[in-house]
Order: sequence, then structure tokens, then C-alpha cells
Amino acid sequence: MRWRWLRNRFVVTFGGAALLTAVWNVYIAYHDDGIIAGQVVGPDGAAVSGATVRLSEKTLLVSQTRGQTTTDADGRFEFKGHRMHRLYLEADKDGVGRYGPREYRLYFNGENLVLGKPLQLSAPGAS
Amino acid sequence: MVKRQHWPIHLALGIISALMLVPFYWVLKTSLTGENIFVYPPAILPQDPNPFYFVDVWYAIPFLRYLINSVIVSVIVVVANVFFNAMAGYALTRDFPGKAATIMLFLSCMMIPFQVTIIPAYLITAKLGLLNSYFGMALPLMSTIVCIFVFKAAFEAIPKSLVEAARIDGVPDWMIVFRIIMPLTKPAIATNIILAFIWSWNSFLWPLVVVRDVDMQTLPLGLSRFLSVVEDTTGALYAFCVMVLVPGLVIFLLAQKEFITGLTSGATKG
Repeated sequence: MRWRWLRNRFVVTFGGAALLTAVWNVYIAYHDDGIIAGQVVGPDGAAVSGATVRLSEKTLLVSQTRGQTTTDADGRFEFKGHRMHRLYLEADKDGVGRYGPREYRLYFNGENLVLGKPLQLSAPGAS
Repeated sequence: MVKRQHWPIHLALGIISALMLVPFYWVLKTSLTGENIFVYPPAILPQDPNPFYFVDVWYAIPFLRYLINSVIVSVIVVVANVFFNAMAGYALTRDFPGKAATIMLFLSCMMIPFQVTIIPAYLITAKLGLLNSYFGMALPLMSTIVCIFVFKAAFEAIPKSLVEAARIDGVPDWMIVFRIIMPLTKPAIATNIILAFIWSWNSFLWPLVVVRDVDMQTLPLGLSRFLSVVEDTTGALYAFCVMVLVPGLVIFLLAQKEFITGLTSGATKG
């Protein structure tokens, strides 16, 4: 009887929305380091070291590069501290091939993104 | 006694309801897919739905600021409506010289569209120094004639003896309204709250006229600005529409029982 007001539909709806918002914000606080990590592989699936990976953002009119890095010996790369929710990744290496630019959508600005699939370079001339 | 079959009526009502919900479904579907709305044949089911257009809207404009502005204006409008309309509704249940003329005046004023009175309303708001303020945006909606009549109908349904007993005990009129009558007319209060909220929430023209500062804009103005600033926005535009619509729909669905009771109270009397 004392807690009956908790079952009121207004309390349930708005309280539930407030709770969800709080949970979502806690989740964001723990996952917004702006890390983008992945791997670059060649047309044959082998890791490509020394490939250039570019992170860019498309504004209203132009695409602006927000970061650039090179893959390590295992073909891995990482960006830190981005503040975007819609970004583009492209990679290339002379003589091996090119990937992208491909769009990635995130749920909030600076969301950590660990790419499940590697960026696979297409051989020059391949469509 | 012949038992009537209800399923044909239910079927017809179900089909009509589904037809009326189609536009809402289409808005929601487009907000999740961003598909070209002119493509033929249209896809009935959403193809590859995702919530990213909502994310785009959240970051493309100061949505939270617009939301807070809309909430503040709506709260002012709702509180003022309940307060002023209850007093006016109570006054119309009493006998006084010129009551019939007052009611006729109110009814005739309902036929004048707001666009006609917008210039005097603007001048009055400017004289009061309320341009570009929350109270300025709320001012024309602070009392509405329809809601006054909702209260009037609800108050008339209360036995006169209750009010007379309070008067004999020396209770002042304002206390009769707010302490005795209003607790008995919750559906009318709910109706006032919902109608005032929806009118305020969807108000576009008046805020457009009185607001000068971008930070003071409400959601409908934000929607208009969003359209003019961002291109290629089919998905984001519809996502914004959904975000603007949802609060009003939630309020209505939560209080629909009281809303319908309030609108029909007095309608079947006698």
C-alpha cells in the first residue's frame, strides 16, 4: 500500500524513461574514449603492414580528414580521441590496393569502435 | 433475445484504426530506414532499419535545448490554463447580469482564427516586454475558450447543494473552486492539461513571431530550422518528427481515459 504510487502509469512511464536515460548515460561514460581499432588485410587476406589508414568526417559540403595512421607489423591500427558519430575509414598501400572510404555509424559521439571485420584492400584495377 | 454479433463492428473498427495509423507507421518506418519516400513501389516493411537518423538529429541541432524550451512553455501554458479556465468556468456557472451575452461572446470569439488576432497579440506582448521570453510564447494560450467550457460543463455536473453548503459556512469563492469543486472534476482537469499541452507543444506560428533568439526556439521552430539548414535529410527529418511527436502521444495515451471522460462530461446530462 505504501509503495502503490510506484505502480502509477505516469510514474512507471516517466520514471522508466529517466532510468533508461541514466543507464544509457552511464554506458556512454564508459565507452566514449573515441578509440577506433582494426586491421588491414590485403586481397589475399594476409595482414598488411605499413598501410595508411585515414579517418575522415563528411561535413555538409566536403570530407575532412580527422586522423591518419599507419598499420603495424600485424596490420593493426588504432585512432584515439575522435568525437564523431558518423565517420569514414579508408586505407591504401602502394602496390597492394585500396579500401573505402566506407561509412561507419555510431550511437554517440566518441563511441569506441573495434572493427570485427578487417579492412580488406582491393587490388589495383579491381572493381 | 437475439445475441448480436460484435465481430463485424470490431473488424470494421480495426480496419479503420489501421488505416488511420498508416501515416504514423510510415513516418516511423522512414525514420528508421531513411528510404526515398517517392520510390515506387514503396516497401511496406522497413528494409535494414537502424536508429542512426535519431543520432544524427541529436547532434545536428541543439535538440535538448529545444526540448527544454518546449517543456518550459508547455508547463506554463498547462498551469495557467488550469488556473484561469477553472476560475472562468466557475464564474460561468454562477448567475450574474450579462451572463448569456458573455457566453455568446466567448462562443463567437471561438470562430475568430488566431491568425487574425496575431498583430494585436504581438503588440500587447511587446508592450508587456515579453517578446523573446517563455511567458511571451505562452501568453496567447494561457486561457482557451474550449477549456473554459469543459470546466463549466464539469462544474455544472456537481450538485449545487455542495457549493451552497460551503457558502453558508463562509468559504470564499476561490477556495470553493480550488478546494471543493476541482478535486471532484479530475477528468476536466486532465482534459485541460492534455489539450493545453498539445496546443502548446505543436504551436508554430506564435513562437515564430515572438522568438528572436535561436536558443529560445521550441521544437516546431527547430524542425523548420532543421529543414532549412540540412540537406539530404529524409531519414533525419522523419526521425525529428518522431522525436517531436512522441511526448504528446505519450501524454495523451497515459491520460486518455480522463481525457475522454472530461470531454464527454455534461454532454449526456439530462
